[in-house]
Amino acid sequence: MPLVTERQRIQHLLRRAGFGYSAAELERYGRLGLEGTVDHLLHPEVVDDSHVDATIKSSLKRDPMEHRPSLIARWHLRLVHTERPLLEKLTYFWHDHFATSLSKVRPHLLLQQNETLRANALGSFQDLLLSITRDPAMLVWLDNRANQKNAPNENYAREVMELYTLGRGKDYTETDIKEAARAFTGWRVDDANMENMSQFARAVFTPKRHDGGVKTVLGVTGRLDDAGVIGILAEHPDTPGYVGAKLWRFFAVPEPTPEMIARTTRAYFEHNGSIRAMVRTILLSDEMYSPQAYRWRIKSPVELIVGAERALGARTIGYGEIENSRAMGQVLFEPPNPAGWPGGATWVNSTTLLARANFAHHLTQAGKGRAFGVDVPGLLAASGVQRAGLAGANALVDYLLDLLVGGDVDAMTRDVLLQHLGAPYHYSFEQAAKSGTLNGVVYLVLGMPLYQLA
Amino acid sequence: MPTDETFLDRPLGRRTLIRRGIAFVSTAALMPPAFVRAVFDEASVASAAEAPRRVLVILQLGGGNDGLNTVVPYRDGAYHDARRQLGLNPESLLHLNDEFALHPKLTGIKELYDQQRVAVVLGAGYPHPNRSHFRAMDIWHTGSTDERVYTGWLGRLLDATRYEQRALWHAANVGADEPLSLKSTSSFVPSLASVPAYALQVDPQFPRQADRRITDWLRLYRQQAEGMARQAEYGGQLAFVSETGLEAYESTVDLRRNATGYQAKTEYPRTPLASALQTVAGLVVSNLGTTIAYVTTGGFDTHAGQSGTQDRLLGVVSDAVRAFYADLDGHGLSDGVTTLGWTEFGRRVRQNGSGGTDHGTATPTFLIGGHVRGGIYGEQPSLTRLDRNGDLQFTTDFRSIYATIISGLFGTDPADVLGARYPVLPVFA
Repeated sequence: MPLVTERQRIQHLLRRAGFGYSAAELERYGRLGLEGTVDHLLHPEVVDDSHVDATIKSSLKRDPMEHRPSLIARWHLRLVHTERPLLEKLTYFWHDHFATSLSKVRPHLLLQQNETLRANALGSFQDLLLSITRDPAMLVWLDNRANQKNAPNENYAREVMELYTLGRGKDYTETDIKEAARAFTGWRVDDANMENMSQFARAVFTPKRHDGGVKTVLGVTGRLDDAGVIGILAEHPDTPGYVGAKLWRFFAVPEPTPEMIARTTRAYFEHNGSIRAMVRTILLSDEMYSPQAYRWRIKSPVELIVGAERALGARTIGYGEIENSRAMGQVLFEPPNPAGWPGGATWVNSTTLLARANFAHHLTQAGKGRAFGVDVPGLLAASGVQRAGLAGANALVDYLLDLLVGGDVDAMTRDVLLQHLGAPYHYSFEQAAKSGTLNGVVYLVLGMPLYQLA
Repeated sequence: MPTDETFLDRPLGRRTLIRRGIAFVSTAALMPPAFVRAVFDEASVASAAEAPRRVLVILQLGGGNDGLNTVVPYRDGAYHDARRQLGLNPESLLHLNDEFALHPKLTGIKELYDQQRVAVVLGAGYPHPNRSHFRAMDIWHTGSTDERVYTGWLGRLLDATRYEQRALWHAANVGADEPLSLKSTSSFVPSLASVPAYALQVDPQFPRQADRRITDWLRLYRQQAEGMARQAEYGGQLAFVSETGLEAYESTVDLRRNATGYQAKTEYPRTPLASALQTVAGLVVSNLGTTIAYVTTGGFDTHAGQSGTQDRLLGVVSDAVRAFYADLDGHGLSDGVTTLGWTEFGRRVRQNGSGGTDHGTATPTFLIGGHVRGGIYGEQPSLTRLDRNGDLQFTTDFRSIYATIISGLFGTDPADVLGARYPVLPVFA
């Protein structure tokens, strides 16, 4: 039975509200208890994360503001090393929600957007939405920088309603889109510091490019500007309904009920549109730990890679994984379109599953000079599971299964792993390390179907 | 009459049940069942294994390509009025006849057109057009405007023709994202990025462990498909992942066995699209029994600064398609290979204020190669009698194009796949 003990619940929570756990992390959160862990995760501001900046500084080969792989590696390093896992998980959620891609936007703008998402990830949704509306990367991505009086461009107005707030098919019309587009006019991107990219770009409002006339959006009439429309959208009950349902699916269950969505909507309105309040409601709900919530989510490639590296304490400088991730169907900062990654079952097809197994191979591959990897014998020796014989093999397999899949597998799966190690007849830690079955057993756990689920 | 399942090589697995379970409404409820032809034509099955009789290549142009600047009604004053800056100079265009001309970057398509190998179908769309990329995409993928349809038109075509789909590679998606078009209730469709990368890799440090690793990898997949996945708490996802893995492995073996020394007979451009089409050519030449191959390219959502972007993208498409057919010509196989080029919608007639165009409706669609009879089909929508959004009114239901392919290439009743009858265009000889 899944999720019986508090330890299992914390493991489940960390798979969803973070990127899995290392043995040390699990022990630390275990001492806080489930509610203590949720509180801790919801308040990243009390956690000192400055060591990540030092790691990034020493690992990056080039300035991420001008070099795409370095932009991707930079975030990858933060995801792997952060001690604020929920903050990064939500930053990743918002990156998917406000999906903006390197296919059209330069890296320095996306770096800035990434920091905007992180700064607002747990704050007020209205602040987040207005920041994104005026975010230089977004102004480029959905063309709002080209949207001006007498020459409106509907792109942002359409997507802000369809993808960011109300959701497709809700009660807005083509006229609402056209009127909102007028309200969003007047912004451009001041990127005069292109040569000196240590300076961030700015969004600049130019009154004479703005349509100051009267508009009607979703039944509200006035001389609306962008903040006016964002206010209307943030106050509209469909917005927390749509965003809340998406958060429920992201953290908890595949099909949230109307009652559950109403609960997060209530939390939103009672706490001035707070994202933190919605997420707290979900993470402390009974449904979060119900059978319906257990192991139905297919990990995204980024979740898979980051989770494996965190759990196993991989050595990485963040670049080598990019091609692995691409082969699995996802690269950070390269969502396929403004709706983000479709996710779910679409992560899994023949080529992406082979790529997942091949990533497990790359991560556990022995030998020096690899771009990233785990010292499997070193990790397991340090974990104190090197006894010989069947008891030793059992201890090793149990350790790995607990670390990587919360221990919940059937006996046959355990048997395959034990036999791979040579148990029961001729297993010793040293021999398994030498022959490659030690690396092999980690490869098998990372590659097996169960590990693909969170 | 026997049920269609009589003809299956393999019984319907859990996968089928899972897929059916996942769909909110089984398409069977919305579509008539696909009836297997009463006569089981052994001869046609045998020939399918010899040479690729017919291959359908789908080329998806994502983002909404501007059809008016692709197949240009260059004599229409309304075109030039609506496109003050974006309107293409008639002298720069590649003329098809005294009414229409291709965008100047479509030189490869024009060459094929001059060889009577390109059919342009004008004004493709559907009633009550949806201007959301995502919804419009789904409508084209599913071949239905009903939101409850969760299978793709090609997936249903695979289901309808599976009595002759003996090969694991009967359909293939080139790329990491499997399109909704290929989603079916019972057919496995492999996706691959390239032939060499399509394999389970093993650790060169431990060559003696290679077989054991793969064997144990398979044992875990089989175990979790058969054992754990049966437990209710894992829902359908564990079974779905493990069964896909087993089929993936089987397809790597099949690919290795059959992909024998394909050599391109032409030099392909160095673009992802050209590489994808080259991978398709490799599958076709390798005689894996592939009848449907899917490639995707995107970036056509030109709300601002359209001309540079569309020039570049159409150039990439045209050059890649030219190389693909040159390669197939070199292998003597192009007669069997038809390409459908489509996009989810055209763009607004009047350009916007940012040198771009906003989401529109009807759009020209291309059928290339195979037994296509070159020419222009359908009617051009009027550029002055627009809908109230200022968009073109469609003249050809896009499902007519699907129906044409289904009956013309696959000899299947389109109504089995599309759930309704649409006029078949006289595109195929």
